Amino acid sequence: MITLLCTSCLYTNWGFLPVVGMEGEGGAKSSSDHTPNVEALSSLSVTNCSQLTLKLEFSTKVVEHEYIVGFTGYFSAKARSLYISSALRSAGDGTLEWHIVPRENPASDFPSDFELVHIRQASPSSLLTLEDHPYIKRVTPQRKVFRSLKYIPSGVCCGPSPATSPRSCRQMCSGRWDTPVRKGPLTLSFSTHLLQNILKCRSVKLLNKITSISLACAGSGVKVAVFDTGLSEKHPHFKNVKERTNWTNEKTLDDGLGHGTFVAGVIASMRECQGFAPDSELHIFRVFTNNQVSYTSWFLDAFNYAILKKIDVLNLSIGGPDFMDHPFVDKVWELTANRVIMVSAIGNDGPLYGTLNNPADQMDVIGVGGIDFEDNIARFSSRGMTTWELPGGYGRVKPDIVTYGSGVRGSGMKEGCRSLSGTSVASPVVAGAVTLLASTVLNRELVNPASMKQALIASARRLPGVNMFEQGHGKLDLIRAYQILNSYRPQASLSPSYIDLTECPYMWPYCSQPIYYGGMPTIVNVTILNGMGVTGRIVDKPIWQPYLPQNGDHIDVAISYSPVLWPWAGYLAVSISVAKKAASWEGIAQGHVMVTVASPAENDSEVGGELTSTVKLPIKVKIVPTPPRSKRVLWDQYHNLRYPPGYFPRDNLRMKNDPLDWNGDHIHTNFRDMYQHLRSMGYFVEVLGAPITCFDASQYGTLLMVDSEEEYFPEEITKLRRDIDNGLSLIIFSDWYNTSVMRKVKFYDENTRQWWMPDTGGANIPALNDLISVWGMAFSDGLYEGDFTLADHDMYYASGCSIARFPEDGIVIAKNLKDQGAGAWFNVGQQPCWLTGNFLICVSLVQI
Amino acid sequence: MMVLRRLLRKRWVLGVVFGLSLIYFLTSTLKQEERTIRDRTLLEVRDSDHRIPWKVRFNLGNSSRQITQCRNSIQGKTLLTDELGYVCERKDLLINGCCNVNAPSTRQYICKSCLANGCCSIYEYCVSCCLQPDKQPLLERFLNRAAEGFQNLFTAVEDHFELCLAKCRTSSQSVQHENTYRNPQAKYCYGESPPELLPV
Repeated sequence: MITLLCTSCLYTNWGFLPVVGMEGEGGAKSSSDHTPNVEALSSLSVTNCSQLTLKLEFSTKVVEHEYIVGFTGYFSAKARSLYISSALRSAGDGTLEWHIVPRENPASDFPSDFELVHIRQASPSSLLTLEDHPYIKRVTPQRKVFRSLKYIPSGVCCGPSPATSPRSCRQMCSGRWDTPVRKGPLTLSFSTHLLQNILKCRSVKLLNKITSISLACAGSGVKVAVFDTGLSEKHPHFKNVKERTNWTNEKTLDDGLGHGTFVAGVIASMRECQGFAPDSELHIFRVFTNNQVSYTSWFLDAFNYAILKKIDVLNLSIGGPDFMDHPFVDKVWELTANRVIMVSAIGNDGPLYGTLNNPADQMDVIGVGGIDFEDNIARFSSRGMTTWELPGGYGRVKPDIVTYGSGVRGSGMKEGCRSLSGTSVASPVVAGAVTLLASTVLNRELVNPASMKQALIASARRLPGVNMFEQGHGKLDLIRAYQILNSYRPQASLSPSYIDLTECPYMWPYCSQPIYYGGMPTIVNVTILNGMGVTGRIVDKPIWQPYLPQNGDHIDVAISYSPVLWPWAGYLAVSISVAKKAASWEGIAQGHVMVTVASPAENDSEVGGELTSTVKLPIKVKIVPTPPRSKRVLWDQYHNLRYPPGYFPRDNLRMKNDPLDWNGDHIHTNFRDMYQHLRSMGYFVEVLGAPITCFDASQYGTLLMVDSEEEYFPEEITKLRRDIDNGLSLIIFSDWYNTSVMRKVKFYDENTRQWWMPDTGGANIPALNDLISVWGMAFSDGLYEGDFTLADHDMYYASGCSIARFPEDGIVIAKNLKDQGAGAWFNVGQQPCWLTGNFLICVSLVQI
Repeated sequence: MMVLRRLLRKRWVLGVVFGLSLIYFLTSTLKQEERTIRDRTLLEVRDSDHRIPWKVRFNLGNSSRQITQCRNSIQGKTLLTDELGYVCERKDLLINGCCNVNAPSTRQYICKSCLANGCCSIYEYCVSCCLQPDKQPLLERFLNRAAEGFQNLFTAVEDHFELCLAKCRTSSQSVQHENTYRNPQAKYCYGESPPELLPV
């Protein structure tokens, strides 16, 4: 069976572009109720605040008759009530009067691990029997907590900032605490000790949209570099701009776009829309022209200067798809190796999967995604696994963390504030938080790109209902990160820290399909972060330890890993397959992998000393009996060109939006809907990351080839023919391939300064025709477009070829569509183009 | 008003207006062209009359100064170069940041992996080689004719060690077509000229 379906490729911005672009979405919102903290707060002014300090009072009182019953796991309200009543019944005290105190909050619809119970005249014995219940962990009295925050006149500010004018001072300190603190499980619990430490003087945005504090001395002593569109000299929001440098061919240091000013403002603005670290030392690097042009070479020179200046934190609200740009990638490694903490935006190419931008997708960089103020992943935020590992591996988890990136307020180009959306905005939120953390940490020696990243991901709060390829480790939590960093000991850690292939939706897509004997191994690409030193190694080998009582011997685990962990990180690729003895077994198997990492000890007096750290990676998988052949579908990943395929063009003179398929195709990225549909129909979908000669076709019902770009070896063609004769079905989704169109979509790439012509059309139709010619089939080089209906399902055929030849006894479901070759609109990427005769005219959609 | 209108009707007045506009148009076009050419070559080596105000203090090689604390090249995967020009393995680094000169593999001023054009395949050896006292005239020549694009970097460099650390890094001069190295085998250069551009 051969199915034709032409999809147009998915395109997005090429090269290094500032990652903002969702102005519409955020703009509307931000003007209303989502203006975080700033304006509403600054109306309450406190005079003479440079001599104020923050004091937090804290007292508690036991609430009579009320007890918190903690459970061993999360249960529904019904189950909790059942457990409590059965436990109290077994107490044998029939006279006991009790009821559950209703908690009406948004969390009450979800399972919980505690219940609030009102028991009149509870005897110690009845409480003890309650604790005897197998699902009840503990019973504690309910306490009422009183907290008050006050400003108290006190001594000097920390940091060298006594010169602040009264006006700016008032604005910095205005009564931030008069905002309601949200109650409930989400409220951050902060102690007096902590606040005094972090927020020595004035402080701080707690990254909670309601609670906000702001510190004037925040960030002091930390050098922050902003690589962006520049900053004007006398911007009223900044007090500590140490240096501005220009690396472009425009003779100015000023920002002509507003992007760089905004980003700098989120990090370090000291008034109006306040940043995190107003006292940090700002180094402004102008690497983009006002037309958003930038070259790798400008970055290389600017990065070298950042290393020389011993920058601590570097924000890159930019990104591009080209992780094969070796000079750039090497330079980013060099920066982190010199202890520069790199924070970068993950990209604005969501909600498509497989759209991560470089350098945010690097292991040594903190890649930041965006959420809105309701804690939903922002639509624009790039997501999906990294694509470096394809086709042999699967892909690493990115972004690392997410934070507010929608309708965030920051500094306007000349003055005032504006709100912007984009991961460009989320990145400086994290960079600002990192700066604040670095300045408050007691032992600065311990702060390095790995330990900072470890602290951020270990403290991040996981968002419910979102998978790890969208949220990474969750939402930035500044306070917890501070706590972790201040008790940090140099160590190694893993990201993700465990592999639970049964956990949905966090471990999607792994959790969406159980594994079975004979299936392609499931590969999980884990990142090892090493906070002990810039370089490290794995001692001996990682060891797989199956838990025998938990059927650990039913799976085989193979591991490959980086020979050297540099800089600060390395990979651990875990390949899981089912053992033969579990071919018809169903159940859960568990075990763990132990890894020991060693790094040279730098502060050790003994030469040659090493620090070591051992980490455990728990693994849990669900196994089912091998499904029948007819239910098994194999997706051909190998012939989808590795992306980016070689050296990719960046910009385009005629088409401002990019023309190429850099998202590539993967069943879990841009064909995710197809995957979900197939799964819901009961099919098992596996991915083939090797040539066609490398799989046993007798195990599979169908081979799926979608928009294949790669050519086929003669051996592959011969083997596939034999497989089809032996009952394998083949589904091919073709695309377009028309040399005259391809000639016209060629363009001049400003980055590589070369003309670039696509190697193939949307798919490599000549190669596909070689493959299918033996069955008397062929695709044409035509280009068609139009609507059709199949089985009551309305479909749109975006642009693709037609069937040129098909055997007479075959079944063709045909529909006449509009011939775009005769003059028609069609899409090159997301861009409407008019094709007629020899002309292709494209309309540029310029975005900021 | 009337006079002005009559004046404007005169043919010679219109001629002058047209002439001036033409001159303005031509000069501004030419200037722009000149500017684009200049922008393109911003990062390429300029003629010798342009000098960046460098202020590097070279240390004389014969001074065997005592040093208690060393700066080193920090970043290396396995090797490090200290400011005295010693290259050693990470495990042979002393607590004061200096290489242990007694370790068997430690070498001073070593140009291993470096080619005749001053480009090396290993960064740490490039730095060590660049620290050789006899490289001073070469480095001075480079500084005297360094491209404008390097002004920020090389005016901020203060001594021989910082200069070598900065000079050996890959830079705008290491690439062709922006995203490929001119010579991926020997990309760290202390020498005067960048690696040869490869034919496309």
